[in-house]
Order: sequence, then C-alpha cells, then structure tokens
Amino acid sequence: MADLVHLERHRIARRENAGRGPVREFLAIGLGGQQYGVELTGIREILSLPPLTPVPRAPRHVLGVCSVRGQLVTVIDLRRRLRLSDDSPPRRARVLLTELDSDIVGLFVDEVRQVMRLSESEIEPAAAAMGGEVSDHVIGIARPQGQVVVLINLSTIVPR
Amino acid sequence: MRHLLIVEDSPSVRGFIRSAAEEPDSGLGDVEIAEAASGFDALRLLPRGRFDVVITDVNMPDVNGLELVSFMRRSEAHRLTPIMVISTQSASRDRERIMALGANCYLVKPFTKQQLLAELLGLIGVGRDEAHG
Amino acid sequence: MVEVSEKAREDFFSEAQEIIEVLSRNLLTIDELQRHGSSDPSLINEAFRSVHTLKGLSSLFGAPTMGGLAHHLEDVLDDLRLGRVDFDNTVLDLLFRAVELFTKVLAIEKAGGVQPTAAVDELIDQIRRMGATPGPSADDQVNYELDPGILSVLTEYEEHRLRSNIEGGLRLFKLRVRFELATIDRALEEIKEQARKLGEIITYLPTGESGGIETIELDLLMASGHDLGTLVGALGGDNVIIEEVPRRRAGGVSVAPRPMARTAEHHPTGQAPDLVPFEATLAMPNEQLASLRSVSQTVRVDIRKLDHLMNIVGELAIVRGAIARMAERLHNDGHRQVGTELMRLHRNFDRRLEEMQDGIIEVRMVPLGQVFDRLARVVRQISHDVGKDIRLVITGAETEIDKLIVEELSDPLMHMIRNSIDHGIESASERDAVGKPLTGTIALNAFQKGNHVMLEVEDDGRGVDEKAVLERAVRLGKVSPDEVDQLTRAEILNLIFLPGVSTRDSVDDLSGRGVGMDIVKTNISKLGGVIDVHSEFGIGTKTTITLPITLAIVSALMFRVAGNTFAIPLASVSEAIAFDSAGVRQVDGRDVISLRGTTLPICRLDELLGIERSAPHPNRSFAVVASLGTRRLGLVVDQLLGQQDIVIKPLGKLLRDVRGFAGATELGDQHVGMVLDAASLIDEVLVSSDIGLRSGKAGHG
Repeated sequence: MADLVHLERHRIARRENAGRGPVREFLAIGLGGQQYGVELTGIREILSLPPLTPVPRAPRHVLGVCSVRGQLVTVIDLRRRLRLSDDSPPRRARVLLTELDSDIVGLFVDEVRQVMRLSESEIEPAAAAMGGEVSDHVIGIARPQGQVVVLINLSTIVPR
Repeated sequence: MRHLLIVEDSPSVRGFIRSAAEEPDSGLGDVEIAEAASGFDALRLLPRGRFDVVITDVNMPDVNGLELVSFMRRSEAHRLTPIMVISTQSASRDRERIMALGANCYLVKPFTKQQLLAELLGLIGVGRDEAHG
Repeated sequence: MVEVSEKAREDFFSEAQEIIEVLSRNLLTIDELQRHGSSDPSLINEAFRSVHTLKGLSSLFGAPTMGGLAHHLEDVLDDLRLGRVDFDNTVLDLLFRAVELFTKVLAIEKAGGVQPTAAVDELIDQIRRMGATPGPSADDQVNYELDPGILSVLTEYEEHRLRSNIEGGLRLFKLRVRFELATIDRALEEIKEQARKLGEIITYLPTGESGGIETIELDLLMASGHDLGTLVGALGGDNVIIEEVPRRRAGGVSVAPRPMARTAEHHPTGQAPDLVPFEATLAMPNEQLASLRSVSQTVRVDIRKLDHLMNIVGELAIVRGAIARMAERLHNDGHRQVGTELMRLHRNFDRRLEEMQDGIIEVRMVPLGQVFDRLARVVRQISHDVGKDIRLVITGAETEIDKLIVEELSDPLMHMIRNSIDHGIESASERDAVGKPLTGTIALNAFQKGNHVMLEVEDDGRGVDEKAVLERAVRLGKVSPDEVDQLTRAEILNLIFLPGVSTRDSVDDLSGRGVGMDIVKTNISKLGGVIDVHSEFGIGTKTTITLPITLAIVSALMFRVAGNTFAIPLASVSEAIAFDSAGVRQVDGRDVISLRGTTLPICRLDELLGIERSAPHPNRSFAVVASLGTRRLGLVVDQLLGQQDIVIKPLGKLLRDVRGFAGATELGDQHVGMVLDAASLIDEVLVSSDIGLRSGKAGHG
C-alpha cells in the first residue's frame, strides 16, 4: 500500500529540479510535531498502520510486530527512539519499511509529507549545540521553502 | 524468433549466456533458449527441431564437446547448424582440433557479454546465408 | 565484480558453494582411500574438474582472488590426475587448506569485504612448490586399431586414461549400445554400474546412426582386464554389441610400458606405473560418486520460496478451521444438508492440505551429511593442530532434517566437537597409560525417531569430572552447598549447561579450552530441540541432541492473556487445567497449586511478561501446564482458545535479546500472536533452588 500521492509529487519535483548537480532525495516526515528527513533510498515502502501486536519485554522503542504479506516485521517508534513526545494524530501515522541486514523493519512516524530533492550545498552541517538523543543521528539540516528539516541517518537510528 | 541451444554443465555459465542473449538490446531480437546440462541432454534436445545456433562447452563428462560437434556434423539435421564452442583452453592446438571437426567459432573463457554477443551475431548471419546459398 | 544481474551473481555464489562442498567431500573420500592404500582415479579427476570449473566461473564473474587460487590448484590437480605427482599426506593437507581458504574467500566475495590476499599468496607459493617437474611430453603412438576419428574427439584427460590403461596391459573394448532417449538416464546409470565393476569407461561417442528420433546409439570405449566372453556375459543384451579392439601387430611401436615422470622421491624406474586394478576399488567411493552425480538431477530452490509456500499452507490451515466452524454452524442452524456437504468438503480439503504440507516439508529436508562433511574437515584440522590422533566415525549422514535447522546446527556441533578434542580426548601418553587405544574416537551418529531427529556426539575420552563440575557450580553460586548431596548424577552432569560452569575463564584445569555449553544449549533450544549429556569418568562422554524434524509447522495451543492472543507449541504442554484462586498456596515464596496430589508451581503470564491488564484476575483461572523433562510450570492465562497448526516465524534481529519467545505466528486477518518458548520460561522461573519442591514436600505454609 505505497503512498502513491507522494511519489507522484516527487516525480513532478524531479522534472522541476533537473540540472542542479548531484542531489540526494529525502522523505520529509513529522515526528513529535517537528519535521525530519530520512534518505529515500533506504525506504522500501510506506504503509498505513497495520494491526500491531506488542512484544512483551521488548525495549521501549519497539512498538510491536506486524505481518506484511506474510512476512514478520518489527516496528519501532522513531519518536521514542529520538526521545520525543509521543502523542500524535494516529490518522496520518504511517509505517516506513526499511531493510536491516536482510530483516525488514518498520519505522513508525506521525506523518509523511513529501519527497525533498536536496543538492549537497543545501544540506547544512548540524550545529554542535543540538543536544539530546537526536544529535547522534543527524546528517545535517535543510531549509526548503523556509522550513527547518533535520536530516537523520537511517542506518544509525535503527539500533543493531 | 531465434532458437538457441546452450550445452554447458555449469548452471552459472548457462545463466550468464542466457542473460546476455536475452538482453533487450543484444541485437539478436526475440530469442528462445533451450539449455542442456550435459552432452546427453543435448543429444536429447537436438532431434527436437532446428536451432539457429548451438553454444557448447568442450570439457563435459561422458559426451564431451568435441564428440558433440563431431556428431552434429555427421547428422543430416545439424550438418549446417552454426556451432559456437566455449573453452578454457587457449592453446591453438585445441582450437585447430575442434575447428577441424566442424565448429564455426571458438571463444575462450573468460569473455565479456559484449564479446559473446559480437560472435553470436556474426554466426547467426552465417547460418542464414548458407541456407540461401 | 563484473556487470551481471543480481540473479546471475546469486547463481554464481551458490554454484561456487556447491562446487566447494563437492570438492571437500571428494577429498575426504580420497583421504580415506589413501589410508587404506588404494586410490580411485575418477575421484581425482572429479576434484580437478571441480577446481577447473571454479576457475572458469571466477574469471567469468570477476572474482580474481578465487580465480588465482583455483588456477594454481588446478595445475597441481592436473599433475595429480595425469600421474605426474603422487598423492601423499602433504599434498592432501595442502588441498584441504585450499578448500578452507576457498570457503573463506567466497564468503568475503559475497559480503564484499577485503580479501586475505596475503594468505592466498602464501598458499599459492606452497602449491607451486608442490608441482611436478615437467617431464617428457607423452607423445606415444597409441597402438591400437582405433579409428583416428575416435582419437580426435578425446579430451586430454580421456586420452591419458586410455594410454594408462593400455600401458597397464588392459584390453580395449567397444560397446555399441542403443538407448531410448526417454529412459537414457536410468539405462546409462545401470550400464555404468555394471561396467565399473569390470573396468573403466573412457568415453562415450554418439555414432550418428539411430533407429529414429527417439533412440540414440552410442559407442562406449572401455578398458578392462577381463576377456570378451566375461564382458558379454555381464553387459551383453539386445541393445548391446560388444567387440574387442585389437592391438596393432608387427610394425607398430613396442608395447613395453614406460614409466611416467615423477617427482624425485618416488622413482620405481622400469616398473609399471601405479595403476589400480579396478576390482580392488572399494565399494564406498562408487556410491559417493553416484551421490555426487545425482546433483544434476535436483532442482535448486531458494529456501525463502519454500518458506513462502509454508506460509500459504499455514494460512490455508486457518481457512480450513473457519470452514469447519461454519459447517457446524450451518448444521446447527437448521441447514443440515448444506452443513453436512460442507463438512464433507472440509474433510477432503483437510486431507489434501496435510498432503501438501507433508510434501513441502519433504522438499525442505536435506541430509545431515552436508554439515557432517564440514565437521570432518574441522576434526582433521584441529586434531592436527593439537597433535592428537583422532578419527571421526560418522553414521546416519543420510538422515534428513529441515534445511533451516541444518544451517543452525554446524556451530553448536562444532563447539561440541572442539570440546571433545581439546578437553575430552586425552593425549596419546595419557591414553596409553590407562590402556586406551592411542587413536581417540569421536562418533557422530544421526537417526530419525518418530517426529524427531536424534544426533549423538560420543567420544572415548576422559569423561566429565563430576566432582570438579559440582565444585565449580557451588563456587559460582549456581548450587547452594546444602543441596550438593541431593543432586542426582544426571542433575550434576546437567550443571555443565549453566553459564560459566564450562567456559574457559577459569584458572583450574576443569574447562581447559572448552566453549560454553550454555551457548550450545541456547542454540539448540532456539531450534526447538533439547540436549542431554551422559558420561562415565575415565571412559567417555556422550551428548544427545533431540531435534524436531522441521521448524515449519507445529501444533500449538492458543490462549489469551490480558487481551492478547498467544500460542505455545503442544509438544511442550502436558495439559491445560482450570483452577480456583482459592486453591493457590505459597511454598518457598512461590505460588503453587495442588494437582492430583502433587505440587505444581504456577506463574501468572501477564506478570511474568510484564503485560498490563485492565481487569482484575478472575476467581476461576486457567493454567497451561508447560513441561520440560521432569519440570513442570503452570502458566496462568485468561482464556483457552483451542488447538491450531501454526507456522512459527522467527523474530527479527532487533528482538534477539527478548527471552521467552520462540517467534510469532499469523493469526489470520493480518494479526500476529507471540509464540512462547516453554523451555526458556521454565528455565527462567524454576531455578535450581526449586529442587526441594520436586521431592514432593508439601508447603511450609
């Protein structure tokens, strides 16, 4: 159940942005009221919330497990992982599927916004004074259309 | 539609040749590929119909590539079928031997997909002309 | 890597893997034969072909390290098969090391890491030194009345075999055989079987004559020490014409056998080269050969595809259950005829589904021999390293078990064998002193028993020192001093499975270089198996592993706790009971109830697992009695849901530290239920201090 609307917008943006040099594509997501971005190449699929079964004794950031076309997927809560507040409108929440060492892992996010195409020059290095759990996983900061988006590193944020 | 027969006991090499021949811009057009894992399998498949080209390895157990080429050249149905031989032996003596038996083309491993396709295209042209010549 | 598709790469890796395994098995057989003083040239040729193919593949798919190693190995194997170099222990050792290195290099190639080029170069150096000094090229005239047409189609190897046989004074025969193409495989196997007992088939030549499109005629060129009469008797038939190929008489070159070039150490000049009269070849390698050949008859399947099929079967099983319930409802609601009809269809469906399930399970099964071969190499290596003479006896290698289980077995088995070699088997002098044979024996035995596969690892070493184990356990606090007398021998031996009791981090001489048996046990229970150990001090140790044949589908008991559905494999359940909360007493700080006169410790699952509950505990509760050996534990649940066949899926890497679960299963409609690991929960809840409970003492109140 991929989110087709967003991918369509992405295709349009692509045509508009041709000719800016090497660009990286990020998926803009909402977590705890803030905007974050994750590298699009790491995301295999975007799902609406499937039925989740809690796993007793699992670490706190594990929301549970679910079944996607017969495969067992562990879903972690990116907000808890980043120690952000976790009350949100469940209506727009999504699970991003990403691959980790041949396991499929799901990342729970409050909402998915759009695909951003950013050239290297548009990614600012993270200020040292970012503080909190977040700073360990930050690739940089982008400011598309005046908004502030913190770009986080998928490969470090998913605990191994 | 071109009909290819690949005679080779290694599944990876068969897969390699197949993927080269099936590539959309190979120049071969539509292909239908039969695979034989041994000389015996080839003997079973050959009577079934015409092939535009037979690609065979040399060193196979029991019925080896040399024997297969010799057999094909003695049979009415495959006297003229283009044969490409792939081999690990680069010595000219081996090449001469098998060309003397009637193979049309001799390719030494390792080869790239491009080299394979280039030779194949050359051969399939040959077959056509002979039929009309 | 070269530009190839993902699929092509996968094909390459899996073929390379297979080739290395076949090569390894071959070398083991050659080794075995060597020890008995014989050899089989076809095996050596097989080994050469394996490496030759590997070389070709490596170059085609762009794996230069592997290709380079294969290239040099091929040279030495070529020398060996052409008789230019003799097979001895140094050569064999080199070949085994090469196989080990190949395995490593292939794994690195797959993972994309940095190749150990230094190690490879070193080995190549040693291989080069092993090669033969180039001797006079064998350009002899072959003085048989052979059609030059035949000679022109022989490969170099076939020519060599021909010459060897001729020089050995064997006769040459031509068997003209007509085959039906439809049955040629089987017919060929039969002829090969028969012919092998009498001689060597050098090559197969299609004659080009045939009776029609469905038959083919082949000339088999064969060398044999027997005469025409014997051959006709054994191999003759309606479709077989045998004639001897006569020698060329006067005018031809002399037939005196010429010794082939050899390395300096082996030089029986003037003698005929070492040829093996084929009657002396052991039966065993021929069987091995048959099994190697049958590889081409099999279909290579990605285990994930089989997992997928199993999933579908699991889901169909859920549908089947729903159909049964519906049929019953229809029946009771007054639609008796429709209900009965549906019930009948359901039974049919049920039967077929079970057949399909069995069929898929069968496809997933592979022989244990796969893992045993690897172990045989390891034994050879390690015994050499520690300087002990050890032989490995394997029985039951053809016993089959689920492919996924086999993958997980090699590590635990490796640990156990290391323990036996390092710590179990004594040094030669110690063995001599107690009158044991100087060669230590490790026996690996596998057999099927009902729904399980039993694996036994037995050694004739020094056995487990119970006193030392007990001492260690007490020191580590696993056993309290006053319990020491109450422990039975079996219980003492099982202490080695507690963490720390059998690991190497101790100064005393108990553990030597052993690897933790607790890890082995954990790995085995993850597979749904149990491990047991028997030992006699001074005589030996035997470890028995019991494994389910397949991980795939199990019967389970479903139940609910605090709003969630769970499953527990029926194999671990002895019964399910209902009880009153009034009947719960306290013994040694633990909740227990009376069950038919015995005391059963119970444990609330929601508390154990840390699940929050909204409603208070009811007065009347249910308990699932989980059992492991003699230990039982009642798991208190809210509601029992009945039995169901489930497919247990392993939890992913992120959850590997979560204890107490065997996995999760689909419940239908995309919902998932956690599956309990009874053994792990019992271990967790019942520690050794519960020993007092088992002796049946009633509560102290």
